[in-house]
Amino acid sequence: MSVAAPTALPGVRRVEHIMGLPIVVDVRDDGEAGAVLDELFDWLRWVDATFSTFKDDSEISRINRDELRREDADPEVVEVLERCDRLRAETNGYFDMRSPGGSIDPSGLVKGWAVDRAAAILDDAGVHNYAVSAGGDIRIRGRAVPELAWRIGIQHPLDRHQVAAVIETTTDLAIATSGAYARGDHVWNPYSARPPAGILSVTVVGHELATADAYATAAFAMGPELAPHWTARLDGYEAMTILADEIVFKTAGFPDD
Amino acid sequence: MRKSITILLTVATLALPVVDATAATRAKTKKIVISKRFTGSLASVTRWGSLQVTIVVRKTTTTTGTKKKVTRRITAVTVPIYPNHTDRSVYINQTAIPYLKSEALQAQSANINLVSGATDSSSAFAQSLQAAILKAKKA
Repeated sequence: MSVAAPTALPGVRRVEHIMGLPIVVDVRDDGEAGAVLDELFDWLRWVDATFSTFKDDSEISRINRDELRREDADPEVVEVLERCDRLRAETNGYFDMRSPGGSIDPSGLVKGWAVDRAAAILDDAGVHNYAVSAGGDIRIRGRAVPELAWRIGIQHPLDRHQVAAVIETTTDLAIATSGAYARGDHVWNPYSARPPAGILSVTVVGHELATADAYATAAFAMGPELAPHWTARLDGYEAMTILADEIVFKTAGFPDD
Repeated sequence: MRKSITILLTVATLALPVVDATAATRAKTKKIVISKRFTGSLASVTRWGSLQVTIVVRKTTTTTGTKKKVTRRITAVTVPIYPNHTDRSVYINQTAIPYLKSEALQAQSANINLVSGATDSSSAFAQSLQAAILKAKKA
């Protein structure tokens, strides 16, 4: 669906359902952005077809059935899988694309990575003011014209009609949140083989969505004791951790108002 | 420099063992919660100045019969004293000290463009987005 609101807002908004997620693109530059949005959504559909574990003919499904060797896969697939391996090491094993059965599912990185590339498509087309959201993981650039900045709310984990913090910024930023309140317990601690207890959500902000998302997932899996302290040492990324007892930890540079 | 501060925080974190005292008998459960502030020693970070870390620890003692369970959790970490007497140390403290701010969870319904959250059910998200777009059109 495309919603053009020429009298109220500049640019164009488009929403499509890809990778099992609503993808929202909100462009606030004047001018014709239809062609670049087509290119952007084509890219996301290609990512879905190539990486989905729900599609039998995706490269990931073929790798998991031993029909395709990792090194023979599409260069983009090889790049993503290598990055997953590096992130596993960097997060002490808390970000892990491997299931206990030995198959791989890189979707924890793919979403953020795909949106980073979608943002690059907009950048290359000369779009300066936009937001892209994939199921609540967001890249913003410029400002929400005619407003002076983008205002991004961090979902309140216990009350879906409220937000727990607001980030108002004109800095190009990626914002990712991992939590257990939306789709049930979908992040597991790989060491205890259980969903983490005592932690509601972790939000990580920085310049790249793929990394922010992977860090948020890993910190969430670490649980309430480790997560705040681990995020405090990240280089170039800031975090906000909400614990089940409603205590919120923010790293020194977390950019909310 | 960064390393010395990191160690200081790590020590503060690890010095909190979880004690689980023995014996299981059925009886009433009593829970006592105490929050206390602990201040670390003033640590010199060489030529950049001094640094001190304060943590607030909440101790929960749950007694069921003779079984006693004690859990301790850090609920706040602050750095009340940090090196800031030179431009260089101000820069370091702004970028390198891994400290955390702690606060209570707040709820607000603010005027926002988008919400970052754990992957939401699409229909609710689409509904909310639709509402936002309609609101934006009226603005």
